[in-house]
Amino acid sequence: MNSTAARLTTCFATVFPELPEAEIPQATISNVARWDSVATVTLLSLVGEEFNIEVDFDRFEELTSFQGLLHYVEERTSA
Amino acid sequence: MKLSKAVLLANQAKQPAADRRPVALVCGFSPLHLETFLAAHLRERFPESSIPIRVGVFGDVTGNLERLAGSDAPSAVVLEWQDLDPRLGARSAGGWKASSIASILSEVPQALARLLAALQKAAAHNTVVLAPPSLPLPPLGHTSLAQASPVELQLEDHLSAFVRKAAEIAGVRVVSRQRLDQLSPLAQRYDVKLDLAAGFPYRAEHVDILCSLLAPLLFPPVPKKGLITDLDDTLWKGILGEIGADQVVWDLASHAQPHGLYQQTLAALADQGVLVGCASKNERSEVDKAFSRPDLLLPAASVFPIEAHWSAKSESIGRILKAWNILPSSVVFVDDSPIELAEVQSRYPEITCLLFPRNDAEGVWNLLAQLKDFFGKPVVVEEDLIRAASLRNASTWAPEETGSAASSAFLEQIEAVVTIDTRKDPSDPRPLELVNKTNQFNLNGRRYTESEWRTLLEDPHSFVWTVSYTDKFGPLGKIAVLAGRRAQPAPEVGAWVMSCRAFSRRIEHHVLDRLYAELDAANIRLDYRATEKNKPLQEFLTALVPGIDGSQAPVLEASEFSSRQPGLPHRVVIQK
Repeated sequence: MNSTAARLTTCFATVFPELPEAEIPQATISNVARWDSVATVTLLSLVGEEFNIEVDFDRFEELTSFQGLLHYVEERTSA
Repeated sequence: MKLSKAVLLANQAKQPAADRRPVALVCGFSPLHLETFLAAHLRERFPESSIPIRVGVFGDVTGNLERLAGSDAPSAVVLEWQDLDPRLGARSAGGWKASSIASILSEVPQALARLLAALQKAAAHNTVVLAPPSLPLPPLGHTSLAQASPVELQLEDHLSAFVRKAAEIAGVRVVSRQRLDQLSPLAQRYDVKLDLAAGFPYRAEHVDILCSLLAPLLFPPVPKKGLITDLDDTLWKGILGEIGADQVVWDLASHAQPHGLYQQTLAALADQGVLVGCASKNERSEVDKAFSRPDLLLPAASVFPIEAHWSAKSESIGRILKAWNILPSSVVFVDDSPIELAEVQSRYPEITCLLFPRNDAEGVWNLLAQLKDFFGKPVVVEEDLIRAASLRNASTWAPEETGSAASSAFLEQIEAVVTIDTRKDPSDPRPLELVNKTNQFNLNGRRYTESEWRTLLEDPHSFVWTVSYTDKFGPLGKIAVLAGRRAQPAPEVGAWVMSCRAFSRRIEHHVLDRLYAELDAANIRLDYRATEKNKPLQEFLTALVPGIDGSQAPVLEASEFSSRQPGLPHRVVIQK
């Protein structure tokens, strides 16, 4: 796991403490029961804080999986 | 606090625990990080507590206040301009034209009046903490940004009248906008993107600071009780032993104004009931001369005791603590010498030691603000005001009695009256304050939240006695509280505390004697628990119930008490 993925995993573990770490890379809004709109905003805010990026909240409907968010963060941090 | 830490703490605060501190969070926007940071700050203060937070519905702050507040939990009400009229927020596009502004200006006072009525109702049942709008107004009005517009000034006017009225309601505590402004820059509070996307208007840094102010108002910390100050280059500028009492200074003309401001602060603290003593390495006669100067801003009468000699400062502190009969953790010590502070701190690690920053006006200004925070309390009650006088009298009336119980012959001649008020008065903050700050004569060390205390008061089977005392040397005010429930086979006392100022007068014996009589009880069960700090209570009970070990609630028989009590010398008045 690269360092971006590891840091993103920590963000997920903070917001969803009941989610086993091994399952985090497959996490999506459909398979995590507690992932609602409030959790989305909290998660995106945490990601913004962790990676020091301004998260585009207008895109939060697309950012509904670990892999989607990983891609988004990599895109934003490599720019 | 970062959001990541806040989320972790907020998750912990959701776990069940024996100590619950529920809070109602009332706002008109989506609570999101506000809920998280509030839970986090409370969890940081109470690491063993669960902190369930109830929130309301979006866009209806007054309705939320009516539904959530005033139940079994204190409330935090966080207002924003859009709660007073949606057109004052970014999520509405109702218009900022002159005609709309006129309508806004007529709507806002009505919204504030509805809120005030709801606040009044809620505060009658529980504490309400009010945070006035902390975001800037939207860019409405015809002026440039540099010029205050009439609409902005009128809105501020309405708000300020509302906040003043709210602050006058018993049970309402208002977050200081000035303090918030000091800590959180106005331009860095609003998150317009998050407001539009999720209905939450604050940046994380701002909501963190806001919650750091809400938390201690919801559950106020116990304020410090006493301040011990050094003299030379602290209370005044100059060394008494070198230049004499006439030459020490504390005024603007002598470039010593910070010392004058410090004196002024200490005088104000003494005036609100804080004990002020001094510990100085000096000749006592010189110190007395300095304290006799009429231009001193801290009256000599406000300082007790004065310890002036050449022994270690920690010895002086020890004597002052004994005279005040309070714990080191309740005391702040101020000195300009780091070595003296270190010496005192090594002997009394629980004392808060603060450096007086010599020749540093800004440092002194910050020190004065720190003192306000250490000694601040929501309200000043009568007992605070007579505490210093009664301690001084205590040292006068029975200096030979120090450390031991006064004799019957002595107690019989002091014309004492013990007044027991058996009426349950939820508007009186003193009983709960006593229960929550008393350590030494405390039945079990249990602390109560305001909600728990109100529940106890509302229980029809409970009894809550507030005890006052006076004698020919002056009143001590309300100095003891006893609370419990009428139960079978014996009434149960769950809380019993008495101020250390009232020790050695047999007030506790009188209270117990009246308890048997008033409840018509042959036995009383005491929810006693030995703690590290309640030695005086332990000694009192051991004299009545030999062999008591604090591991189980003892039952005290009236006949046993009668045979062991040492005599009841005072007149007792029962108020019903």
